[in-house]
Amino acid sequence: MAHHLVTSAEIPEEGERLEVDRLKKIRTICLIVAGAGGLLSMPALFGWFGDGVQGSYSFSWLYGFFFFTTLAMGGCFWTLLHNVSNSGWGVSVRRVMENVGYVFPWMFIPMLPLLLPEVQTYLYEWMDKHRLAKEAGGGSTSYGLHHGPTADHLLHVKYWYLNLEFWYVRMLCYFPLLGFVIYFLRKLSVDQDTDPTPGTSRLKRARFHSCWGVPVLAVVLTFLAIDVVKTLDYKWFSTMWGVYVFAGSALNAMAVIILVTIALRRMGYLKNVVGPEHDHLMGKLIFAFTVFWAYISFDQYFLYWYANITEETRYFILRNTAGWNYVSIVLVFGHFVAPFLLLIRQDLKRRNGYMIVMACYLLFMHMIDLYHMIIPERGPSVTKVLHPHSPDSWALWLNGSIVGDVVAFVTVGCFFVYILLRNIGSVALYPHRDPRILESANVHN
Amino acid sequence: MSSSVKRVYGYLAEFESASALYKAAEKVRDAGFRKWDCYTPFPVHGLDDAMGIKRSILPYFVFFGGLTGLITAFLLSYVTQVGIYPTTVQGKPSNIFTVPAFFPIMFELTVLFSGFTTLFGFLGLSQLPRWNHPIFASRQIHRATDDGYFIEIEAKDPKFSAEGTKGFLDEIGGENIELVEDDGT
Repeated sequence: MAHHLVTSAEIPEEGERLEVDRLKKIRTICLIVAGAGGLLSMPALFGWFGDGVQGSYSFSWLYGFFFFTTLAMGGCFWTLLHNVSNSGWGVSVRRVMENVGYVFPWMFIPMLPLLLPEVQTYLYEWMDKHRLAKEAGGGSTSYGLHHGPTADHLLHVKYWYLNLEFWYVRMLCYFPLLGFVIYFLRKLSVDQDTDPTPGTSRLKRARFHSCWGVPVLAVVLTFLAIDVVKTLDYKWFSTMWGVYVFAGSALNAMAVIILVTIALRRMGYLKNVVGPEHDHLMGKLIFAFTVFWAYISFDQYFLYWYANITEETRYFILRNTAGWNYVSIVLVFGHFVAPFLLLIRQDLKRRNGYMIVMACYLLFMHMIDLYHMIIPERGPSVTKVLHPHSPDSWALWLNGSIVGDVVAFVTVGCFFVYILLRNIGSVALYPHRDPRILESANVHN
Repeated sequence: MSSSVKRVYGYLAEFESASALYKAAEKVRDAGFRKWDCYTPFPVHGLDDAMGIKRSILPYFVFFGGLTGLITAFLLSYVTQVGIYPTTVQGKPSNIFTVPAFFPIMFELTVLFSGFTTLFGFLGLSQLPRWNHPIFASRQIHRATDDGYFIEIEAKDPKFSAEGTKGFLDEIGGENIELVEDDGT
């Protein structure tokens, strides 16, 4: 059978829009759950349920926040990449990428609890040390870190970067910075939908502005990952950390994009412009990033394992201890070997049912990946803060803390889905006046 | 040596554009021809579908080629570094848990063997390299590297007939229809 050639007659002049009522129920549920979860989380984070809950839940919240932030940053990445590389294939799914990316500025809200000193006490040991040093140094943290009982040479030499003032400035800058990039690119794209004489000028402007957007994304993603996750252990350093987080972000943002495009098609939208060829192309990207994730995460492990230098191996020693070792092994086989073999076949990437399962599976693996990044620090960190002088009660795992992880994850998750659905519902589902929409609709592998 | 016996290779017809060629290819495919080919100055997207070409079996060769590379690399490093001459580096174990040290080799040999299988599998499936091709006897085929779009139907095709095929090519819009005769050089 010859391919059906999509012509401009099949692209509605005013584009396709989501009938918002059809998703109203899900949106309302998400908003209620996010609101209720937020109300439940606040007292937990302020410590009204006790110190143990506060310490444990701080990590849960960081986990939930960071998981969905990586997805949003991945959405920004795909939008930028699509513009920079002058791609034609993905014009019909580009709006979905923009919508996933445009959740990023909103992730500022779930980030706010991390700014509380009560929460930071449990998460970031270096901040405690800085605060103590400031008292001891008579108002000068730098002096306190260099002299007397609060001296810590490592923190002293890292002071130019790792200090509270700069940390707060960074945290407040990340979201407006990358948020502006994605807002601006999405606006360029959305404005075209109502332009009576759409030309190529926006296309070229999007490409031009994405070129500086890429370094912004690189800086924001790398340093956000360093500031909120890697500094959980201030003594450890890894030059691959940013790219490691990036690999997972890009992979799983594409999984979300696949899920959204399939869901929209099952609801009867996008039918004229998205087909198995797009599924295949996006499936290839998922496959490529599965390999990329494995390459990066193994490299990080390999360098430390091989060099075997005491201060560098701590991260992996903790994650190879007791039950965490099984989680590490699950990642090797579950996050790489299984998806590699399952995604290798061409025909399977074109089957929607199969790709739904694969995308959900990869998102689940991403959950485990981030859990493995963040949560192993929790037991030691919280018990050390609560019982600084009785090493006997320091523990690897806090009983019952997984309840908090679920609550925080669901809360931030519902917030993410609510914003995503709001983004999708507020604009046309694909850029119907883009000069390359027909090229994309008729794309052929 | 124009006196030697010539063998009919097939008919070659020119089409005026890539899109005319594409449409003609669909007709040749639907007419049920099996042994025929298209010649164009540049790759035409989707032409393989228009010609009804099935997917190559090369990927399966490559998968097993890569798997062979992976296993070879593992055995090579394991047998030498753990079995025959256990090498202790920085107090690391010399057993199955040494495997991360072998990963780069396993990766490289997987890529190398996949690459070799791709190259030699491709050459084998396309019956390359070869000294000559009967189509080169045509007077106009050189234009396929410049501005000509050609369809060629081989005489070996069971549906081929001297007059019928010529008429068919004419019917689907072919011009400069030429009987290509292989002179055996």
